[in-house]
Amino acid sequence: MSSTITSAHGSDTAGEALRGGAPTPATDPVLRAHQVRRSFSMGSRSLEILHGIDLTLHAGELVALVGASGAGKSTLLHILGVLDRPDDGKLEVGGRDVWSLSTNERARLRNLEIGFVFQFYHLLPELNAVENTLLPAMIELSWLEYQRAKKKLRARAVDMLVHFGLADRLEHRPGELSGGERQRVAMARALLQNPKILLADEPTGNLDSSTGETVLELLFEEQRRRQLAMILVTHDSRLADRCGRVLMMEDGIVQADSAHPVPD
Amino acid sequence: MFRSFISWRYLFARRTNLIGMVGILVAVAALILILSIMTGFLAESRKVVRGALSDVLIQPAWFAEAPPAEPLLDATVRDARVRGCTAELVWGGVITQRGRSSVRGFSSPTSANPFVVQLIGVDVQSVERFIHPVVRATLGNFGGTLPRRRLADAFTATDFLQALAGTAQGPCAAPVKSPLFPFVPPRAHTGRGLPKPAIVVGDQLFDRLNMRVGETLQVATVVQDPETGDAQVNNQNYVVAGSFRSGENEMDRTRIYLARSDLSDLLGGTRQFTQVLLRLKDYDEYSAPLVADLRLSLAERGLIRGGEWGLSEVRTWEEFNQNLLGAIENERVLMAIMLSLVLVVAGFTIFAILSMMVTEKRRDIGILRALGATPRGILDLFLLIAFWDALLGTIMGAVVGTWAALRIDPIERALSDAFGVQIFNRDVYMFDHIPAIVEPSSVALIVIGAFCCALLFAAVPAWRAARLDPLTALRYE
Repeated sequence: MSSTITSAHGSDTAGEALRGGAPTPATDPVLRAHQVRRSFSMGSRSLEILHGIDLTLHAGELVALVGASGAGKSTLLHILGVLDRPDDGKLEVGGRDVWSLSTNERARLRNLEIGFVFQFYHLLPELNAVENTLLPAMIELSWLEYQRAKKKLRARAVDMLVHFGLADRLEHRPGELSGGERQRVAMARALLQNPKILLADEPTGNLDSSTGETVLELLFEEQRRRQLAMILVTHDSRLADRCGRVLMMEDGIVQADSAHPVPD
Repeated sequence: MFRSFISWRYLFARRTNLIGMVGILVAVAALILILSIMTGFLAESRKVVRGALSDVLIQPAWFAEAPPAEPLLDATVRDARVRGCTAELVWGGVITQRGRSSVRGFSSPTSANPFVVQLIGVDVQSVERFIHPVVRATLGNFGGTLPRRRLADAFTATDFLQALAGTAQGPCAAPVKSPLFPFVPPRAHTGRGLPKPAIVVGDQLFDRLNMRVGETLQVATVVQDPETGDAQVNNQNYVVAGSFRSGENEMDRTRIYLARSDLSDLLGGTRQFTQVLLRLKDYDEYSAPLVADLRLSLAERGLIRGGEWGLSEVRTWEEFNQNLLGAIENERVLMAIMLSLVLVVAGFTIFAILSMMVTEKRRDIGILRALGATPRGILDLFLLIAFWDALLGTIMGAVVGTWAALRIDPIERALSDAFGVQIFNRDVYMFDHIPAIVEPSSVALIVIGAFCCALLFAAVPAWRAARLDPLTALRYE
């Protein structure tokens, strides 16, 4: 594990731009977790997965979350994505304590502020590429609002898909797309609502290296261009090296946080 | 927006949903069809039960002497609420056909004996008592201009005219020459000595005994000797003037109509009439008060005995058949309860399909929740699937059910021909067709019921979907 951090620190040759930019402490954090704890009950006993995690994330920050299986990476990512509730601690998104919000407000926050890219793409099989991309907007808007904005939204979705190299796959359903293409559709969907935070859970974990590289390039490019606060869960140390900040997790705590740029 | 969009997409992407839709379609169509037939059966049964009873029936208690019907008719016809009235003489009899071994029919105890008949003596050729303009127009449709001074009461008070005008269906049934003059013997029988009285026979009886117009029938009956009190057999020859068809098997199989005076002759003048039939201008409005008024006024005049015998002699046809109608109504309620189970079955189909779909779509639910869908949005999504199922299923079911109910007779015949099985045996029922009445209110009720049932049963799986933990759903493979 420590080698991952060392490697991440040591191989920071591409510079700030490539790593998604340095943290910008001058601005307010887009996401802040304070003493987040999470445990799961295993029969009669309780198994604590996260032991009080503190994390602050600013706009434009690209963070790699690394660690062995069972270290609590995915659990933390789900809590940061407001999909799971911590047993203790506080999570703020845009300065708001998310667990003091109502269920509907939290859902809206997920819809507008947070984008997800999953390892297994998680596209709806009945919808084509454009429709899958438009899904967050469909969830946000009422039928009437959507009908009014439909043309504009569709044009935006198509533009994104074309930009991701899917111009001839717009009407294809997930079953007719390759893994890389599916992941690009998932990326377009995650970015449609212009979220402030992007959470990627091993986005290349299910792709071959060449396809994975293409997807990553696109992902990093969008992160830089949109100045997204992005957390990337990965096992790949070379991939972590390319991120501006690396969080090393072990047994439910952050063992190392390379919060500062590593000198060459 | 996603609710309607995705629910609609799921509806057609998953064929199991179509099974649910077809389930609702079949349930709604079957309900409409069965209920329409049931309603038709009940209406027809009421008609049969009513028979020739008209709206109100006056049955004076048994007098030793044979009083004429005229005082009773005069007393009732003056009432402005009465549209028409007539006296009827009803008696049982046995017929024999000359030259044939008709007595053989008596040797079979198991089958209905075709030779035992009901003789109905009616007035159609006496002095005009009352003719309503509508009745005049109706009669005009059957026979051109109405003869002056002709009694229309028998036609007005009963359905006899319609029965006479009914098309005879049997291989040799023969309608009467003119429905307005049903008891006119064929020309061959006029001018040959004493004219024989004529009778009109139900067309099923006519066919069954291979009768022909002009044939002579001997009718025998039993009467009580007014002097000795002993039973005595009277008989008389009649000439068959034609046949009638009411469409009700019981009537068409057993009834013989003849002039009341001729039947009275057969009874040796011991009886002039057995009942007076009244047709009202508005049965629903007038029947109860009129019956009460008549009970009083007729008793005061000594034309009936009043309530001293416990059983009133003036009754509506419904009171007359109270027990039977009560049983029919009871059957209708029981049927409605049993039929509603069909909707429950359709609801269970929706429940099963939607439950399966929620399990199948767990990951999709997780994705939607991750993208910002609320639990309420997920609930609505699955309820909407049931809504589309119910909407399309009930609309198609209502169309199919109504069409089938309106075309039930040809459909039954086609199915009977196709499978070589007689589905509706017209001989064992009271009717010669499958009666079906489509009531729009019933159709609307079934459609609404199916809708509510589908949504009610869909609520459980939809609620389960809404309560799914998004993370558990996302991890579902």
